[in-house]
Amino acid sequence: MSAGYRALRGSAALADGAHLHALRVAGPGAFELLDRACGRDLYLQSGRLLHGLALREDGTPLADLYLGADDDAFLLLAEGDRRQLLDHLELARPAGSTATVQDLGEEAGVLTLAGPYAWELLGEVLGPEVIGLPYLTFMQLGGVTCLRTGKTGEFGFDLLVPRAGLPGLRARLLEAGRAFDLAEATLDDLDQAALENWFFNVRREGAAGLTPLELQLQWRVSRRKVFTGSAALEARRRAGLRQRVTTALSPAPVKAGEALRHDGAAVGVVLNAGHCAPRGAWVALCLLDLALASPGVGLVAEGGAPLLTTSPPVLANRSLFVSPQRHAWATRARDTFPPLCEGADAPL
Amino acid sequence: MTRPLQDRLAERGRALDELRRILIERLRVEREPDEIDPDVPLFGTGLGLDSVDAVELVISVEEAFQVRIPDDDRARRAMRTVNTLVDFVLAQRAEAA
Repeated sequence: MSAGYRALRGSAALADGAHLHALRVAGPGAFELLDRACGRDLYLQSGRLLHGLALREDGTPLADLYLGADDDAFLLLAEGDRRQLLDHLELARPAGSTATVQDLGEEAGVLTLAGPYAWELLGEVLGPEVIGLPYLTFMQLGGVTCLRTGKTGEFGFDLLVPRAGLPGLRARLLEAGRAFDLAEATLDDLDQAALENWFFNVRREGAAGLTPLELQLQWRVSRRKVFTGSAALEARRRAGLRQRVTTALSPAPVKAGEALRHDGAAVGVVLNAGHCAPRGAWVALCLLDLALASPGVGLVAEGGAPLLTTSPPVLANRSLFVSPQRHAWATRARDTFPPLCEGADAPL
Repeated sequence: MTRPLQDRLAERGRALDELRRILIERLRVEREPDEIDPDVPLFGTGLGLDSVDAVELVISVEEAFQVRIPDDDRARRAMRTVNTLVDFVLAQRAEAA
């Protein structure tokens, strides 16, 4: 277990958000542009965030998006190929629109803070207002745009920070974080946490050529509007869904790309896999024939590893039980929480 | 596929269908049943239910499946996704049988 992963699951972890791209869309036609570029119905209130998807014309995901309404403009925090996303937005521009799409990457960078006590550490560094920030909202604090997000199953914050202030904020978080056993997490740590908590990863399973139908992401696409990729999704619906992603656990190593069998028959493939240290098991995101894409099905991977499909998340995240009103890092030893997984008292 | 597995998956499918019906009819989730994916989160993100919906969901599930959802940590884990709630319901039924 890496120090970053341990901190992410047990205290607080700081990560570089270089894989995230911040954009600002403003001006006449900005809403219409985003409405066409994003698959989700855009019910946007100022200060609130929507978790959406941008699709290619063939219905496959191009970017994983947080969208926020910021007075008369829109903020996007996106994961995916930056150049393709900018082109995608340009193609979605309605005729005559003079909306501007500003890449904020030159002027601001992103820091990611996540963990069951991330709220408390951030409150010490940025101010107590941040502690009560509800999930999927954002606010400005001292020049920092603080987004209450996260794809790890823990309390999560993405901090959009002016470039000039980035080293200073990072240093302050590391300094204050010493008292919280803060550690720096890598992108691999974040990806592993996302896999365990069934957060879509556009760089992994998102690259498998699947649509939101197979990826169980239908909640992120509307059937009430036309958007880039909507025609391809409707065609896929009409053709009938044949496969779906399903999580599985194995006591033996499993890796992406391995074929899967059930009763000797080929039934799917592993799309993404990693070692879940608290469970002492490998967790795999599998693409399975629809009839078997349910929890409780035994599989065998090409390399011989036995798997059993399960309902994610595969952990009872500490953040599910930590309440900023009742708990604190200082009282953690006398606070009682359920184990991260049944039958294992994970040493975090 | 073995017969016991077929039976188990069929029972699970029926519970999943019933839960989707509850979500659409009682919680007013504006989706067709097959658009509610089994692993979709119920609260916050995903279907976006809130604390008021949680009360209605508990009452509806208890009534429809004749199970009791306790107000404790198990409920918090059970109410994460459609599938975790189906897991809970099936486990409660198996215990009662």
